[in-house]
Amino acid sequence: MISLLDIKVWRDLVRIKGQAGAVALVMACGVAMLVMARSLINSLETTRLEYYQTHHFADVFVQLKRAPMQLRERLMEIAGVAAVEAGLVFQVTIDLAGLDEPASGQARSVPDTGEPGLNRLYLRKGRWLSASGRHEVLVGEAFAEANQLEPGDQITILLNGRRQALKIVGIVLSPEFIFESRPGTALPDNRTYGIFWMRYTELASAFDMDGAFNFAALALSPGSNDRPVIAEVDRLLVAYGGRGAFGRGDHPSHIRVSDEIRVLTALSIGFPAVFLTVSALMSHAVLLRLVNLQREQIAILKAFGFGDVEIAWHYFKFALVITLAGITIGTVGGMVLGRWLVVLYHVFFRFPSLEFQLDAGALVMAVVVSAGAAVAGVFGAVRRAACLPPAEAMRPEPPTEYRPALVERTGIGRWLSHTFRIAVRNIERRPMQAVFTVAGLALATGILIIPSCFRDGVDHVMEFQWDVVQRQDLSVGLVEPGDKRVCNVFAQLPGVLHVEPFRAAFVRLSNGNRHRQLAIRGIPGGTLHDRVIDARYRQVVLPKGGLVFSAKLAEVLGARVGDQILVEALEGKRTVSFVPLVALAEDFSGVAAYMDMESLNRILLEGDVVTGATFSIDKAHWAEFLGSLKQVPRVSWVAIKNSLRESFRRTTARSIDLIQRIYMTFAIVVAFGVVYNNARISLAERARELATLRVVGFSRGEVGSILLTELVLLALPSVPFGLLLGTLFSTVIIGMVNTETVRLPLILTSHNYAFASLVVAAGSLVSAMVVLQKLKHLDLIAVLRAPE
Amino acid sequence: MAVESSHEGSGCGGVKRTEVGTQVFRVRGLTKVYGHGETAVRALSGVDLDLYAGELVVLLGPSGSGKTTLLNNIGGLDVPTSGELWFHDLDLTNATEEELTRYRRDRVGFVFQFYNLIPSLTARENVALITEIARDPMPAEEALEMVNLGGRLDHFPAQMSGGEQQRVAIARAIAKRPEVLLCDEPTGALDVRTGIAVLEAIERINRELGTLTVIITHNAVMAEMADRVIHLSDGRVHHIHVNSTRAPVSSLNW
Repeated sequence: MISLLDIKVWRDLVRIKGQAGAVALVMACGVAMLVMARSLINSLETTRLEYYQTHHFADVFVQLKRAPMQLRERLMEIAGVAAVEAGLVFQVTIDLAGLDEPASGQARSVPDTGEPGLNRLYLRKGRWLSASGRHEVLVGEAFAEANQLEPGDQITILLNGRRQALKIVGIVLSPEFIFESRPGTALPDNRTYGIFWMRYTELASAFDMDGAFNFAALALSPGSNDRPVIAEVDRLLVAYGGRGAFGRGDHPSHIRVSDEIRVLTALSIGFPAVFLTVSALMSHAVLLRLVNLQREQIAILKAFGFGDVEIAWHYFKFALVITLAGITIGTVGGMVLGRWLVVLYHVFFRFPSLEFQLDAGALVMAVVVSAGAAVAGVFGAVRRAACLPPAEAMRPEPPTEYRPALVERTGIGRWLSHTFRIAVRNIERRPMQAVFTVAGLALATGILIIPSCFRDGVDHVMEFQWDVVQRQDLSVGLVEPGDKRVCNVFAQLPGVLHVEPFRAAFVRLSNGNRHRQLAIRGIPGGTLHDRVIDARYRQVVLPKGGLVFSAKLAEVLGARVGDQILVEALEGKRTVSFVPLVALAEDFSGVAAYMDMESLNRILLEGDVVTGATFSIDKAHWAEFLGSLKQVPRVSWVAIKNSLRESFRRTTARSIDLIQRIYMTFAIVVAFGVVYNNARISLAERARELATLRVVGFSRGEVGSILLTELVLLALPSVPFGLLLGTLFSTVIIGMVNTETVRLPLILTSHNYAFASLVVAAGSLVSAMVVLQKLKHLDLIAVLRAPE
Repeated sequence: MAVESSHEGSGCGGVKRTEVGTQVFRVRGLTKVYGHGETAVRALSGVDLDLYAGELVVLLGPSGSGKTTLLNNIGGLDVPTSGELWFHDLDLTNATEEELTRYRRDRVGFVFQFYNLIPSLTARENVALITEIARDPMPAEEALEMVNLGGRLDHFPAQMSGGEQQRVAIARAIAKRPEVLLCDEPTGALDVRTGIAVLEAIERINRELGTLTVIITHNAVMAEMADRVIHLSDGRVHHIHVNSTRAPVSSLNW
């Protein structure tokens, strides 16, 4: 049976439903964020793990120049290795009808018979390759979707310089390419970069690699560590041009998903904390008022023999009911948002199926954290209720003492209107409630600053990357390192204004016991295209014989300017040398090392070798240039700046927009809720005063303006605090997004600040207007008849 | 309805009955019903009444006789269900919300049983608040002087006694120089001594400013200070008693 006190809880709550609802909504925002982020983490982690298990994702990966298939057995024998898959991988260019620029990608082999032992493919559409697989190809889903390719379509791939028409038989996914993008780029450009799988024999014969492999993936036996295996693989493959093995922790696609999980983790802690704090403050204000209004009821209950604990529990129940509502709304909201974001993730991450999976743990956490916040928020009010001696409680609250407000005591009082004085003195009389309101509005403002800060940061990165660093219109990579004179050929292409070569060399960098494998980018001195920029946005002139690291790489390797870095070439003559770190560069994605091209070639003991070139093109000859570039056989890949930009706008910008809208909704809920609550409390506590003003001849608008004046007086200081809070939140959260994939600079613009302030102001105003409507229903007569 | 007049009380200190001025209110068949159907309550059922400039009227009647409802209708706080209610040529039965607000702001002064001061404003400010919006107000200090509170200008309501608070309320009501002063049980919450001070203030306003004053009470003794005493019962005017002379407040035998 429901106790009568519980019925009282219910009826009282129905009476204050507006305010209880506002508290529940703010709490729901926090819970939604928590449920959304934790569930997405859960979805990504479990889906990835399942995908890795069912499709036998390898643990160690290595590329090499060429090794005979027999060497596979030697790899198998390494202690801790459970399986080895050896195959071929080549950079290729693709000639797509309808795409005016050359697309590029990787052609990878699958065994002639049966499925690969490791890194198995998932067939989304069409069929597997036939037994012979002649002129057949499987295409990665991201590229296929971006170019609207279907099984049955034809595609022309340049295999070792020969154009080969191939028939697409299936669209596939691979655990190695959950994030399908050109190596070393943070953003996918699925239109111009794809992954292709062909039968081993067909690929091997095209590249004269029969009986050989240039790529191996190894699975470890359970409990084995990848470190010793990597070392052994490297030792074994030195003679075969091994480029250095790496584990899952360095696998680009794996890192990318892990980085996303890290960002979500940051969101799942920071945001709910903010929202739940606001809702705790709000429930405190609401309950305190309820307790004040119910002094007499409390006294009567006590006079009847209810104990302090029962009274306290009775008032805690208000908080718990509100919490329950908040959690329910928040969970549903979090699931809806989560499902939206999962759809968005499909753009970036390719899983056989990525379903939103509600994280039960998150629910438990939401219940515990929000109930905790609510209880903490109402603790003071409840204690006050429980501690009230019955005789005292039965008397009405003593008349409120007022005094001239601080601003008046400074002497400017005589210029203030009376309505203004009423507002100021009321604020000063209830400093805590004023503080809560200011804090709530400040939080709302702060919440709004974060997404704009994200967007501005990303914009800045893009501008930096594409306008400051990369001044070229496009970059081209060669199939093989070649002589510098290839630039003369490039310079002859129609529309070329300027060509600069570059040299990318695969190395292992070591500083003490920290290592990193990457391609050092060798750039000619006095470059106009591919510039290295320092933290003060000045171009770094690459010194002869020294290395320049991106700040993140220096951090990863724990290196400082002046340190001697061990550079082991993983290709060519495999030279080993110490090179001093001479400067640091600024960049925002990936890790990078730069050297003067001549110096790089010198330590590699190679002549004037280049691996690609960057171009400035006369826009009038753009199409002509691309057409002729497609005919150059040595080109393995092409990256067009504007395509990358466009693709970025379609993907990342879209997701940032969605996230910004979510945050904006949340901030408006908070602003609205906080103002609504404050205004309702003011209205209720001062119904008598306001009614009196109406009776003596003040119009509804004039009475409303007193409440509005109070709100404006509270909203004004909340602006600077809000901007400060937003700056703080942004600093912390942007700091947490400091991953290897991408780092965002903290960009705070006046536009961002103004937008946040305006949105909160508008939300507050609308909310105040809603409450002021209640002035219409102010019962002038009833209020005046009741004793004070 | 019966009209009687009294000729006693013309002794020492008596105030001559106010000359009948121009008609201010004309009330005919005034009816007010709250709620509807079975729960309908008839607060007023056909009141006929005229009130004149300058007179002091006491409305007497038991609880539920309709005194307050009548006062609220006259004061523009409430609108009648049917009947006629004219303030000069302003039809209060059909006035808009804005007209009623303006009417209350410019023409009517209210005094309530529970003072209803703004707690966050001092005595002077409570009065000055009204003078800010009125057409032709007197200075707040002058109004407070009239109720003998010249020395407590800067006290907040919480720092004053009930009688003092009620006198501030009176000062607030008259500072706008209203044509009509409506007092609903002005001494209801006060002891005898302070109650008399309050009534003296009201009487003085009526005498000196010539404000039509209507006082609700169920204390029959107060009838002696009025020009006319209107007895209400069951929502109707039962009878009207005309005093030939008004007894001074100090002589009222509580």
